[in-house]
Amino acid sequence: MKISLNTIRQYIDFELPSVDELVSRINQQLGQVEEVVDLSAKYQDIVIVKVVECEKHPNADKLHVCLVDDGGAVENVERDENGRVQVVCGASNVHAGMFAAWLPPRSTVPASFGTAEPFVLGARELRGVVSNGMLASAKELAIGDDHAGIIEITENDLPKSKIQNLKSGEKFAELFGLDDTVLDIENKMFTHRPDCFGQLGVAREIAGILGHAFKSPAWYVGEPVFESRSGLELKVFNEAGEKCPRFTAVVLKDVTVKPSPLWLQIELVRLGGKPINTIVDMTNYVMLLTAQPTHAYDYDKLREQTLGVRMAKQGEKCTLLNGKEYELTEDDIVIVDGEGVVGLGGVMGGGNSEVSDDTKNVVLECATFDMYTIRKTSMRYGLFTDAVTRFNKGQSPEQQVVVQGKLVELIVEIAGGTQASEIFDSRQPTADSRQVMVTSDFINARLGLKLTQAEIANLLENVEFDAASSDEQMTVHIPFWRTDIDLPEDIVEEVGRLYGFDKLPCEMPRRSITPAAKNPVFEVKKRVREQLSRAGANEVLTYSFVHADVLQKAGQDALQAYQLSNALSPDLQYYRLSLTPSLLEKIHPNIKAGHDEFALFELGKAHRVGDVDDEGLPREYKRLALVWAAKKTDKTGYFVAKQYLEVVAPNARFVPLSDCDVAKYEVFEQLAKPFEPKRAAVIMDGENFVGVVGEYTAAVRKAFKLPEGAVGFEMFQAYLMKVQPRPYVPLSRFPKVSQDISLKVPASTDYQSVFSLVQKTVHDHQPGDCEIALEPLSIYQADNDGDHKTITLRLVIASYEKTLSDKDVNQLMEKVAAEAEKHLNAERI
Amino acid sequence: MEQIEQARKALTERFAELDVKSNILKAKELRELYGEIPKLPVEQRSAFGQAVNVLKNELETMVAAAEAAVESDSLSPVDVTAPFDINATRPKLLPTEQGTTHPLTQEIERVVEIFGRMGFVAEESREIDDQYHMFESLNFPKGHPARDDYDTFMTTQADTDGDPYVAPAHTSTMQNRILKKYYANLENDEAIAVVVPDRVFRNEDLDARHEHTFYQVEGVYVAKGVHAGMLVATLQKFLEEYYDRKLKVRVNPFYFPFTEPSFEFALECPFCESGCSVCSQSKWIELLGCGMIHPNVLKAAGIDPNVYTGFAFGCGIDRLVMMKHNIEDIRHFESAKLDFLRQF
Repeated sequence: MKISLNTIRQYIDFELPSVDELVSRINQQLGQVEEVVDLSAKYQDIVIVKVVECEKHPNADKLHVCLVDDGGAVENVERDENGRVQVVCGASNVHAGMFAAWLPPRSTVPASFGTAEPFVLGARELRGVVSNGMLASAKELAIGDDHAGIIEITENDLPKSKIQNLKSGEKFAELFGLDDTVLDIENKMFTHRPDCFGQLGVAREIAGILGHAFKSPAWYVGEPVFESRSGLELKVFNEAGEKCPRFTAVVLKDVTVKPSPLWLQIELVRLGGKPINTIVDMTNYVMLLTAQPTHAYDYDKLREQTLGVRMAKQGEKCTLLNGKEYELTEDDIVIVDGEGVVGLGGVMGGGNSEVSDDTKNVVLECATFDMYTIRKTSMRYGLFTDAVTRFNKGQSPEQQVVVQGKLVELIVEIAGGTQASEIFDSRQPTADSRQVMVTSDFINARLGLKLTQAEIANLLENVEFDAASSDEQMTVHIPFWRTDIDLPEDIVEEVGRLYGFDKLPCEMPRRSITPAAKNPVFEVKKRVREQLSRAGANEVLTYSFVHADVLQKAGQDALQAYQLSNALSPDLQYYRLSLTPSLLEKIHPNIKAGHDEFALFELGKAHRVGDVDDEGLPREYKRLALVWAAKKTDKTGYFVAKQYLEVVAPNARFVPLSDCDVAKYEVFEQLAKPFEPKRAAVIMDGENFVGVVGEYTAAVRKAFKLPEGAVGFEMFQAYLMKVQPRPYVPLSRFPKVSQDISLKVPASTDYQSVFSLVQKTVHDHQPGDCEIALEPLSIYQADNDGDHKTITLRLVIASYEKTLSDKDVNQLMEKVAAEAEKHLNAERI
Repeated sequence: MEQIEQARKALTERFAELDVKSNILKAKELRELYGEIPKLPVEQRSAFGQAVNVLKNELETMVAAAEAAVESDSLSPVDVTAPFDINATRPKLLPTEQGTTHPLTQEIERVVEIFGRMGFVAEESREIDDQYHMFESLNFPKGHPARDDYDTFMTTQADTDGDPYVAPAHTSTMQNRILKKYYANLENDEAIAVVVPDRVFRNEDLDARHEHTFYQVEGVYVAKGVHAGMLVATLQKFLEEYYDRKLKVRVNPFYFPFTEPSFEFALECPFCESGCSVCSQSKWIELLGCGMIHPNVLKAAGIDPNVYTGFAFGCGIDRLVMMKHNIEDIRHFESAKLDFLRQF
């Protein structure tokens, strides 16, 4: 939102502080100033001159040699005996007697000011005749695109208060308010402030934060008086119901559509607008002043002399000022004439009713629309206009009618014409004046202040709230332009801001000394991070969204993944079904970056369409996934993965993936997809599947360009929450005895059955109460005997009661061997 | 195009019988189809070419799947219960020195730890949520213009109200749940004091300073008699502990629908005395948004705003970490580059 300090000055009756001071106060009490543009430097050298003589250039057909009178304002410039300065001008409209804007030698052409190559003028020969500087066109002054001719300044071009100043030697900048500073305040700050999208609203706020009472111009707060005129017929209707609380329109006849007077063009330029013609410029100017958008239609282009507002019909088409055609929905508000759409209400006018140079009669329309409807329409068609920016903040219907009145007055001033109809006013009934009841205690409690009622009232009255108080209660009447205020808390904000948030007392909340509970989820994640990083793995974070290709490469089903509808990047098409594919994607780049062996892990979430949680929302599967990768390896991958898994889950049970019906649980099936069933295991918690560990399928290895070693696991974090530390085993006072046992079993017998049997037998037949440790030593298979394998375990045992003899242990081991032979067909070696 | 369909049928049939599946990619039908392209009228070439490519990709996928199946058939199953493979030793884990945790999670743990000491409990956020929690419960009615300030990812799938799900653009999406979950605290005359450090999403184009995925810590404090000065003091104390030094702070007015009043909170640059690159020579760092919780937000959680008041704040974690280590590119965080990760 651009703010011109010169425009603000038109509405206040006190001196503004220095720009630095003002910016700092605005930052602290209104909103972030994003940019400060000092226009005065850009325009300071331009001088108003009268062209006294204008002759054809002796050596060039298209040039003129002029003598200009600058009233002697510029020093160090070559003059003739009468004090006139010679300037060569190429514009066809230059003539003696005109007032023009002169860029004297050593000045910079404003259009090039602040660019990489500023164009500094001098006294240069043009075809043999010296030109001291130049006479400027609108384009060179950066106030328009016109460079066909120089600007000619007449009395009409001046602001009313400056008409007598049209004389040689006057500073152009001072005459047109270009000795100005323009502040750009962040729009976001004004999301809820309909009034602050107009200069008037910001002027009021600036007064308020500087502690001055603001007084709105009489026309803005008074009752507009409309004359009833006739001459041109207009039928007006409002069928949009609550979507258009107020709709007003009036006809002006015999207006002159031409470029606006310079003062208006420059006002617009200062505020970031673009001059077009008298009618359009004035509607824009009034909007920039008050934040109320208005629109002008060519009366003679309105079919059946009708202007109305209604909801669009489904599929109805219209072509807007941007030249594009739109197909509308029943949720759009349209402005129509007797036959069809002439504008998308609150968003953009239609091309068919546009005011053009031939326009003689205009209809000026002013409306208030439902802010939510305008926003939706704007989003639906991607149309973001100045009108949308203002309408979607909620403009007041009270404001609309005073703006309509002012607009008529100003247009007649610059474009002539006369009112040729009554002012049509169709409004929905609205609540009377709004008020909020509040107490100073309520306000002070929320700000930590001790303001008196009078102090509060003063702050509010500075910005034209009416704050009457009777006893404790304050009744704050809300001015019509503050449609954002309806709660006592809104008044708290006003008071705090106007008083100054920098003056709030800093005080810590008091609380009891009850310890804040630790969140077990955070604790487990912390533990897992410590464990895995100690095991040499690196924690990564990867996006929660993946490209369809990634799902496909991992063998997963994209139809089960939540899909993003509006992602800017195609890499973010789907929520992920598991974490593993994201990690697999990161292996190849790291190998290429020169890392030969590494492990990556991530704690994250996955989702699957159709599975909802207790809240009825998509269930969030909290997961831990790890991948280990090695450029070259002689290790059997599965056991590396298992080794890592056991770092975080030492007591897990494993069942071959190929033996499990993972398709029973769709989400688990997706988790298991990248894993090779023969070389992976399901991690079991009792009878529940909690994860998969092992190697990846050949297709996955190929698709992700995985190196020779690439394995991993993925599991639910919930299981990790259950992992208990190993229970403490008391130390025996007696010596430990160690003995190995080798059992040759059929190759198909799994290790766990052997280990469990030995463990159980040792436990059941231990000589008295013992401290027992059982460890695997080797699993051996002879080259020539693929049908068997030999598992060697080491028992380390000590009694709590006595020194164990070799005999005790031998007997125990014989018992183990006998049991193994009986149950597992094992031979003790 | 019919030509392509015929070729597809013929090639699929032949594929089943081939011994060396990859030979299908050398089939003369495919070569001929590619040979057709230059003979077609210019305007048809592109569509025809694309259709041929689709066919070729299909065949490649079939070959890859068949080859993978062959490879899988040749695999021998492992004894998944064993601690190591036959005739092998137990594989060694990577050296501890090589392991790291992520700089963002390190910072989250630190932030949670400090707030923990200050009496705040920690909660996780969500990665997919409904619009009620992301917007409505936070006083952004449907169609509210402030929704535009959060470039929110939406799903094609919709909730029971027919509204798309969203990827939360702020951890405030948990505020309503937290206020309800800890409501009993208020009845026991204890404050609701919660932080939510988690992942959030904004639909932005990536560059060195913008990520669509980043981390935010939300803080919520509700009790009797909480005022805006307490918000400032609490954040100041946190930051002084975090940076281990005294720091000046300031608040500027801002607008959020879910707080009233709302502030932008800035701290004196902790890295310099007289201006540096972190604070853009301004000596101040605008760090976070905060404010007094809007009465409608309290009401939506069943808390009476006339009895209880509270404050909330939301601070980007990535920014804290980037400033701390002078990290030049925010995209490194989610890149899983070991060269980056192993520096922390």
